[in-house]
Amino acid sequence: MAPVLSVQNLSVSMKGSKGPVPVLENLSFDVAQGKTMALVGESGCGKSMTALAIMRLLPEDFTVTSGSIVLDGEDVLAAAPAQLRGLRGNKMSMIFQEPMTALNPLFTVGDQIGEVLRQHRKLSHRDATEQTINFLKAVQIPAAEKRVHAYPHQLSGGMRQRVMIAMALACRPKLLIADEPTTALDVTVQAQIFDLLSQLQDETETAIVLITHDLGAVAELADDVAVLYAGRCIEKGTSHEVIAHARHPYTRGLMACVPHLHLGPTTRNARTELEEIPGMVPPLGARGLDCAFLPRCTFAGDVCRSQPQPPLDIVDAHAAVSCWRHQEIAP
Amino acid sequence: MTTIDTPLTTTVNDAAPLPARPTISPAFAALRQFGRSPAGVVGAIVLLILILVTIFGPQFYSIDPLDLVGAPFTPPGEDAWLGTDYLGRDILAGLIYGGRATLTVGGVAAVITILIGVTIGSLAGFFGGAIDTALTKITEFFQILPPLLFAMVLVTLFGQTLTTITIAIGVVSWPTAARLTRAEFLRLRNLDFVKASRAAGAGNGHLILRVVLPNALPPIIVSATLAIGVAILFEGGLSFLGLGDPNTMSWGLMIGQNRNYVLDAWWTVMFPGAAIFIAVLAISLVGDGINDAINPRLRKRG
Repeated sequence: MAPVLSVQNLSVSMKGSKGPVPVLENLSFDVAQGKTMALVGESGCGKSMTALAIMRLLPEDFTVTSGSIVLDGEDVLAAAPAQLRGLRGNKMSMIFQEPMTALNPLFTVGDQIGEVLRQHRKLSHRDATEQTINFLKAVQIPAAEKRVHAYPHQLSGGMRQRVMIAMALACRPKLLIADEPTTALDVTVQAQIFDLLSQLQDETETAIVLITHDLGAVAELADDVAVLYAGRCIEKGTSHEVIAHARHPYTRGLMACVPHLHLGPTTRNARTELEEIPGMVPPLGARGLDCAFLPRCTFAGDVCRSQPQPPLDIVDAHAAVSCWRHQEIAP
Repeated sequence: MTTIDTPLTTTVNDAAPLPARPTISPAFAALRQFGRSPAGVVGAIVLLILILVTIFGPQFYSIDPLDLVGAPFTPPGEDAWLGTDYLGRDILAGLIYGGRATLTVGGVAAVITILIGVTIGSLAGFFGGAIDTALTKITEFFQILPPLLFAMVLVTLFGQTLTTITIAIGVVSWPTAARLTRAEFLRLRNLDFVKASRAAGAGNGHLILRVVLPNALPPIIVSATLAIGVAILFEGGLSFLGLGDPNTMSWGLMIGQNRNYVLDAWWTVMFPGAAIFIAVLAISLVGDGINDAINPRLRKRG
């Protein structure tokens, strides 16, 4: 079956004073119906740019320089403005990171969800409101009949994110992009939102691109993972494989940074220091041909310093990695 | 794909108690806040009285403002409550009838100011880039023209009628509104909810009119209110310089025609001047009240 979303060799660059600066290089991934693809990486590695490129919402100075994005048979990059408006909110939709600012403060949540239905489904005002109440119930907002008339400032962060999800799923899109949907929320609410997303995905068969740095969420929700570093995909595979057998030193570093809680009596080992990856993501424009992770890598050897970054090497059916020494690191 | 198959089956939590406070719209909240500002309320009441007098006054005070009712320069008293002017016309009648023209000129000129300013400012701020550069240049061109001189030229060229004067005032005053609107649009267009709206399939027209503009309205409303006051002063200024509409009684015209006699017959200029002063002051107070009411930093949550 053809994937819902197919991104091939996507490159994005930013207009710089000394010519274009690459932001995203040769990213490829497919997402099938009902599946979740997670994009993982530190801030500034190109996760959000990927999402915005798919939605064709890149900021002014950013352009897609090569590659293709095909959504359900339609070439997104070639879509005319009118076609694009028909796709957005209808076939593909997006949940933003900050539920506090992603809703228009001047309109009721019912108006805002209803607006999407009125535009794409040509529903009457009354029908749209009725549907909206159903959607609010579906995202488990209590007293939906009353909340439909609430303004965003009257709802909590978790509630607002639920409203955003309802809005995003109102037209049953083929693809949902969730850009760090829980970063701004309490830990307990985060779990609820992830549960809700996976439950709704089961019902709607929506493909999800999940952008996150929460590896717990990846393990729980995602079928596949792509780990991005400095605009390059450095490891890709099924989430099970990548989490259980991380091959790239960067992925391993990310995993080591996740704190683990220990229950029971304190042992000597319980107070271990949390690991960190030394150094910083190289800034835009300072990325050469060699492995972008090289300056921070504890495994770096001569081959890494003398050769450009290798392309993704398919290790087996479930994993691919871009590292010269992955066989020594994770045999 | 057009059928909608709801509901998505899910378990709904037991209804949590909603806050007892009913849902109020931002407009209503602003109105309530406006009521708490004494200056604004006083201004609104004074303005309302002025408007009512100019609308219904002629029914109770039936002297025609252009009729010669007595000797020129009759001081205020029994014969004419507020005196007569250099031709012997009744000053009170002039105030009542002239208020209509003055307030209408002020209101309509402010509408023209805001319409041109908001259109240009919103297009410039929303689209940015070359459109912004071009529109900003046009705005700046209009802004460097001395407004009073420019308005005088327009009125001289196109005739001393109230319509020309109104349009001239609107045409010379819009750059401020355009710059204000542009700044608001620049601030708002990159906010998340605008992006989210675009991501939900909204087109530019919808984004400008239904998403960004409503959020940019507070300062625009305030500036519109103040624009009325400025336009009234402008009309007074033009009339004072002899460029008023001689066929329509207005406060400005009264001052302009009697200005040579101000030292001998103070009432001919004093009363229309006071009327303009009070009207502009009331409008400013209302503008301040609205500003306080819709400025989110001053408004209490909820």
